[in-house]
Amino acid sequence: MAARIPYWNINYGVIIDLLAIPVILIFLYGLYLQWQGIKKGRLRVIPSITSMFQGIGTFHPAAFFVKGILNAKIYRRPASGIAHGCLFWGMVTLFVGTNLVILNIVFGLPVFNGAFNRWFMAFLLDLAGLLVLIGVVFFLLRRLFMPERLKMPEARKGFVLVGSLLGFVIITGFVMEGARLSAGNLETGAFVGNFFASSIIGKANALQIHTMTWWVHGLLALFFIAYIPFSPLVHIILAPVNCGFADPSPGVKMGVMDFSAFDDEDAEELPALGADKLSDFTRKRFLDFSSCLWCGRCQEVCPAHNTEKPLSPKGVIVTMAQKLNNTEMDETVIDSMSMEAIFNCTTCAACMEVCPVSINQPKTIMRFRQNLVMEQGQIPELMGKAVSSLEQRSHPFFGTPSGAAEWRKDLEVPVFEPGKTQYLLWIGCSITYEQRAWNIGRAMVNILQKANVSFGILEDSRCTGDPAKQMGNEFLFAEIAQQNIEDFSSLGIQKIITMCPHCYNSFTRHYPKLGGEYEVIPHAAFIKMLIDEGKLNLDTKKTGGRITYHDPCYLGRRNGLYEDPRKVISCVGNLVEMSRNKNESFCCGGGGGNYWAEETGTRINQERAREALDTNADTIAVACPFCLLMLTDGVKKYTEDTRAFDIAEIVDKFLKDIPET
Amino acid sequence: MHIAVLAKVVPDYEVPSMDFELSNNRAHERFSRMLGLYDENAIETGIQLKGKTSSSLTIISYGLESDIQFLRKGVAMGADKLVLVKGTSDDAGIIAQNLKQAIDNLEDVDLILAGQQSADMDRGVVPGILAQMLGTAFIPQVGYIDYKNGDWTVSQMTATGQRELEFQGPGVLSITSIPENVPRIPAVRAIFAAKKKPVIKLNGIEQGKMPLQEISVEIPKIESVCEFIDAQDPNEAVKSLLTRLSEERYI
Amino acid sequence: MKTLIIENIDPKKIGELMTVSRLFCDIPDIIALGEGQIPGLFGKAWQTDKTVAANLVSSVTAIIKQENYDVILMSVSTLGTGLAGPLSVALSAPVVTEVTFVHPDMVIERPVYGGKAIIKQKLESTPAILTIRRKYFETAKLEGTTESVLLDSIEQKVKLVAEKHEQTEGIPLEDADVIVSGGRGIGVSDNFTMLQHMADQFNGAVGASRGAVDEGWASPTKQIGQTGKIVAPSVYFAVGISGASQHLAGIANSKCVVAINKDEDANIFNRARFGIVCDYKKIVPVLTQAIMEDR
Repeated sequence: MAARIPYWNINYGVIIDLLAIPVILIFLYGLYLQWQGIKKGRLRVIPSITSMFQGIGTFHPAAFFVKGILNAKIYRRPASGIAHGCLFWGMVTLFVGTNLVILNIVFGLPVFNGAFNRWFMAFLLDLAGLLVLIGVVFFLLRRLFMPERLKMPEARKGFVLVGSLLGFVIITGFVMEGARLSAGNLETGAFVGNFFASSIIGKANALQIHTMTWWVHGLLALFFIAYIPFSPLVHIILAPVNCGFADPSPGVKMGVMDFSAFDDEDAEELPALGADKLSDFTRKRFLDFSSCLWCGRCQEVCPAHNTEKPLSPKGVIVTMAQKLNNTEMDETVIDSMSMEAIFNCTTCAACMEVCPVSINQPKTIMRFRQNLVMEQGQIPELMGKAVSSLEQRSHPFFGTPSGAAEWRKDLEVPVFEPGKTQYLLWIGCSITYEQRAWNIGRAMVNILQKANVSFGILEDSRCTGDPAKQMGNEFLFAEIAQQNIEDFSSLGIQKIITMCPHCYNSFTRHYPKLGGEYEVIPHAAFIKMLIDEGKLNLDTKKTGGRITYHDPCYLGRRNGLYEDPRKVISCVGNLVEMSRNKNESFCCGGGGGNYWAEETGTRINQERAREALDTNADTIAVACPFCLLMLTDGVKKYTEDTRAFDIAEIVDKFLKDIPET
Repeated sequence: MHIAVLAKVVPDYEVPSMDFELSNNRAHERFSRMLGLYDENAIETGIQLKGKTSSSLTIISYGLESDIQFLRKGVAMGADKLVLVKGTSDDAGIIAQNLKQAIDNLEDVDLILAGQQSADMDRGVVPGILAQMLGTAFIPQVGYIDYKNGDWTVSQMTATGQRELEFQGPGVLSITSIPENVPRIPAVRAIFAAKKKPVIKLNGIEQGKMPLQEISVEIPKIESVCEFIDAQDPNEAVKSLLTRLSEERYI
Repeated sequence: MKTLIIENIDPKKIGELMTVSRLFCDIPDIIALGEGQIPGLFGKAWQTDKTVAANLVSSVTAIIKQENYDVILMSVSTLGTGLAGPLSVALSAPVVTEVTFVHPDMVIERPVYGGKAIIKQKLESTPAILTIRRKYFETAKLEGTTESVLLDSIEQKVKLVAEKHEQTEGIPLEDADVIVSGGRGIGVSDNFTMLQHMADQFNGAVGASRGAVDEGWASPTKQIGQTGKIVAPSVYFAVGISGASQHLAGIANSKCVVAINKDEDANIFNRARFGIVCDYKKIVPVLTQAIMEDR
């Protein structure tokens, strides 16, 4: 069989190749315009990061490849994931094929010969075209029958045009191929082309049809390529780039704020705290806004959105994308979103976890919150009281009936002694001031004593400042953190055991940036370690019954600790999973300061409690005092029994005294 | 115009009864110190009035030098300066004398606001004493304040409703809490700015002590054992509650 | 000791002050404010219909000086509070407000720190001015009336432009035998009508905590607590009230507190005689219905 001849049946075919040059220029110009938009964002200035690219961030090749190129996250929704995969990998294959043709023309690369032609150029390219077509049809149909998440609050425009365009490119390609084969011989492997040749086109006008569709296909394809950067398809460039620049470590990563400029007499213009307009955001956020496809997966997993609250993470990003599109740089944006929505965010990070293009939605929301709190003094009333209380009495539990030492009444608890004690057992605010949480502290003290761990607590009650940070008051957080760091260093504290993931997150993520570096271990991990080392004499007859485990957002999604607590639970009972678990866990509703929220709509903790009870578990295990309080309350809607327990309480119950040796 | 607000730094007024303890007949030093509850309402009222009348606002306090850090919150809410008269007395007469000294020092004060009562001694008497010392009118339990054509119009919250009162020239008003004077949360910028606002420190005087002798301060014993009524079935709960109430002859 | 009562014409308030006055003298004198007959038997009596405290200071001072009183008694109100401070300066007299107990030898008690402590003080000179916290002393039965002379030369420092009396349907809080009181836990303003229905069935009154008043759900005249009304009902229903010490100070003399609150840790249960841990919306209508059927 003869090899395919370039420009067969075409006169002046080189015109298409020449036209490719301006098309590529237009394509690049389109990308340049995107960059011009993104460049308007503020530069990120973090002196400790030396590998900063253009004030956007550090480039992470692995994340770029896995999340950006392999699209690892998109398959979490199988139907649209596979359709996207068909489209994307089909196009990649076709792109390779087209380039091979060019190489054939220019360098005479023998691609149209033998098995390679049969399996790659004929079969695989036909298959790729077919897959792309399937993908296009799927996405066009879905634009016709849009699911809620795409529609609400608004669907991104431009997909139908660019999708149809691509569809036409593929169809004309097939018709052209069919006509060519029809005029010559059918080719083994080119199953779609053969089908078109034998069933649709016939021999009669094959040559004319070939010539015509050759030109149409070529011109349409060029137009399509030139149009990409001006259409939503620009995400084929922006999304991988955004994935590459997103810090791949889990969590929202709010960083810490430097307030020294405010104290500086000579400082001229003081930066805005948080953001209330587009120009307050950094280039990375601009990249977020540009990359967003408005797919709505974020709002689908958002605990606030799922319980009829006004917040939609998609809505926030969409609003910002529109502002960016219209270059409304300096108009206030907060007014167009309700304050309620901005404070609805539980900072659970489910949205950014699910986002296929690595957008950090919570960070944008938190920037608004910071602005409301720190610049405008606006905060919902109960949260305001919590923050004021934190400021006035170093804990946010205003109106608490508990005194600072009541949790450890009748309990011998050693106080941290510099140079003698190894671990600081950090108690934190909730365990001190919320009666239901006292027992976490008491149980943990008992566990540590039974395991002969050298530990001690601080004499006075403390807070890491995390609630202030979550409610947008970075200033108060920094003040509290600095005080703690100062006191820790005078006590020589190096190792800390935390019982609250919020404290853990503060110590590991934020304190180091303020100069406080410690070895911090969450109690779930510490207990796991004690069990592994055989330091706890645990009754492992698994009499604990069915136990389900609720992943606290600040331990799971934000810090990737999923297995240790599960292993601990498995020692004493039978672990059963909720439908949403590990990185897909659903928040208890208490994060982001929403422990102090006056909730509207369905209560998040009741929704989560329902899910937990649906597993028929006897016990709901948690590893966070706030989750414990929220779920204890949520369960009350369904049963009078106490079902939620902290992992320390559960382990404590199964501890046997180590016999004297 | 010049408005002065009297404020006092007190020990945490939210300390739970179970945890409350005394040392030297006063609240234990271990409790955090903070601006008085109603004082914050008074400062908020003052700031709103400052906006309406383009006045300047001074916060005046009698207390310890270490109280300044807490008074700054009030300044950050929107005051222009702070005057602290240094002293430790709890005597209403001495406190009023010292506050008067501060006001005389300022010379041009047009209106004096105070919280309805301090959150430690709970007396509510100092503003009245001060008013008489200054020879001005004293109106307690004030909610809204307005200034029209040289007249102050105020609403006084009485036990049975509201009174609208009008007066001219300086006066001392004690402010109660109303939905409109919930204290604002100062912006961070204002907190930093407050650090740079002037603080005038005056030495206190030990004059005007009232002929009152303190005998003792004690924590009353509250004995109440709560009998919990099972609420699983509301009908049953109500029935047993009513039975218990009549058994114990409360109804 | 020569004792003078200064009070609005209100038999309950005058009755309470009468009880206190008997600790100092047999028959006190009175300056009565407002219109109508002065209830009870007094030595001397002055009367005026002017009720703004600021305007009364100089004329009252003149009478006290002229008659040489040892003890001046008022109740805690806008009148008593309005006069106490200024009179103490005008008379160089000691003043003690919010008195809750009177011991012999001029030793008196009053609460401090939001009722978390009680201070005992001795009055070291006369005249002495006391404002009495309501509901801490029995209301004396007042028999007969006393003729008065006009209190004149009253100043006009402050002009009374208007006076609004809140429509108190039924019984004033201070006199109610049953009070149904709502706090922040009520959640919405509208649900106060639910409490009103319940109070109606008991022939009682509705009160509110500072939180509910700050939310604007109840008028300030309904506020119960250290800085609101002091009440002493037989049964006090605290619905959705957490029980801050300032609120408890206002209900210290209630005979029986029934707390209905979702939060089992709420401080109110430390003061309550009976507690129901439950959403009030489930209990209050049933309770209302039960009383209605009972009657």
